[in-house]
Amino acid sequence: MLESIITWLTAWLGEDMGASLAYITNGKHLAWYASVRFTLIAAFGSAFFAVIFGLLGAALKQSIFLPFRWIGTLYTTMVRGIPDLLFILFFPLAFEHGVEFFLAHSKCSAEVMATATGWPPCAEAQWLLSTGDYLLMACISLGIVYGAFAANVIHGAMLAVPKGQLEAASAYGFSAKQVFWKFKVRQMWVYALPGLSNVWILLLKATSFLSLLQIADIVQWAARLGGANYIARVGLVHPDWRWKYYLVLFIFFILLTMISERFFEALQARASRGMSLAGVSNDV
Amino acid sequence: MFESFLHTPFMQDVVTLAKPALFNLYFAVVSIPLGFPIAILFALGKGSRNKLISLFSRGYIYAFRGSPLFIQFFMFYSIMLALNRPLWKPMGVDDFVLHPLFLGPLVLILNTCAYTAEIFYGALKSTPKGEVEAARAMGMSSWNVFRKVTWPNMLRLAWPAYTNEVVFLFHATAIVYFTLPVIDEQKDLMNKAGELFEKDYNIFLHFSIAGLYFLLISMFLFWAAGLVQNHLNRHITGNRRLSFRLFPGFSK
Repeated sequence: MLESIITWLTAWLGEDMGASLAYITNGKHLAWYASVRFTLIAAFGSAFFAVIFGLLGAALKQSIFLPFRWIGTLYTTMVRGIPDLLFILFFPLAFEHGVEFFLAHSKCSAEVMATATGWPPCAEAQWLLSTGDYLLMACISLGIVYGAFAANVIHGAMLAVPKGQLEAASAYGFSAKQVFWKFKVRQMWVYALPGLSNVWILLLKATSFLSLLQIADIVQWAARLGGANYIARVGLVHPDWRWKYYLVLFIFFILLTMISERFFEALQARASRGMSLAGVSNDV
Repeated sequence: MFESFLHTPFMQDVVTLAKPALFNLYFAVVSIPLGFPIAILFALGKGSRNKLISLFSRGYIYAFRGSPLFIQFFMFYSIMLALNRPLWKPMGVDDFVLHPLFLGPLVLILNTCAYTAEIFYGALKSTPKGEVEAARAMGMSSWNVFRKVTWPNMLRLAWPAYTNEVVFLFHATAIVYFTLPVIDEQKDLMNKAGELFEKDYNIFLHFSIAGLYFLLISMFLFWAAGLVQNHLNRHITGNRRLSFRLFPGFSK
């Protein structure tokens, strides 16, 4: 079956095109295509954390207790002053380092601790992380950063919920908690969607940083596959082709953005059925 | 007392990271003023009635806003590598086109152009129609209508969003040396902080101070943009800056 498809394809495309097709479907290229899963897992995982941190941040920002409000404001203004890349690199490193610090204090002898110059001080304190662990940490740190953006959006959306709705709810005898969860948070999503769509696109673009966190993602593979390929037995297979591979990634991300925009447009149309939404602002 | 304060690890880091901060500033200071006029052209291009110009501007803005800057850096660097570079050697510098101090601002300009153009296009769309019509009725030429009515309105409406873009562009300068080659001691904040971290593994100190530099410069940018904002809105009486008053409206 597979053989016949290959012979048929070669006959149809010709020798040259067939060879190109064979080249871009070899094992390494398949590994490249498969590594898209890291990007998607990181995007969805961090979107999940971002919504949670966003809700928390928004709740803190409108808390009755002043110090909580300060913490909430500090959290949401933090991302306006410090680059996201710094956080994305800092959180996983700091967490790993913190764990190794405790491991070192419990596992390494006092003499070793006093004399060691490198890190970790002894081999037992080394915390080896798998790609899955790094991915989880990447999700959490992206979630923290973009959660702050989401918190701003959600905070604004909560304020946009018409007061009359909430007053009507409490007039019907719902408790303050019920009014918050069943009316404010439920209705808030419609107002938050345009902003959250922007945050999602920012987050999607930030997943290109995964290669900086020890994950062999699409960017890393593009660099590996594109570099000049010289095999002693065959000679120069191809010169530096990295620009072609990066161009593919460039287009890939544009397509992802396009798909997300269509999806959010449909979602917005669905969510705002029966609501008059004249003055919903679009900015993050 | 003061001497010992200068020798704390904190102060030493502040001193060590001062020069790298200049590199981040350089990238921002070069690309913001150069990107601004080109972005205005793209914004006008997107709003243009000429189909070809409009389509080109739209495509450009969509492509550069829809893809990560990280990829754009890699892409332009590898394109520059693939082009036959030894043939062109401006100012006698080897690999001039590959030099981060040239290529960094170039890619940042291409990127910020798209974002800024989108902001100004949005402002262009929301310029009050009545004002434009009034200007036309008074017999102004179309250039004069743009210069006296559309342009000031556009700038005023877009300014808050443009301020954000400027600060985010400054933050984006942190990416430059992750994608382009580091030459000698030409290192930016992230780079130097990473290097210091590899020496003594004190992540909290080095990265916090790098973050502090970013924070301070961002705050300065916000403050400076706020001054411009007040200047742009000086004719609007209802939009006075809020000031703290002990008894608001008490004397009335």
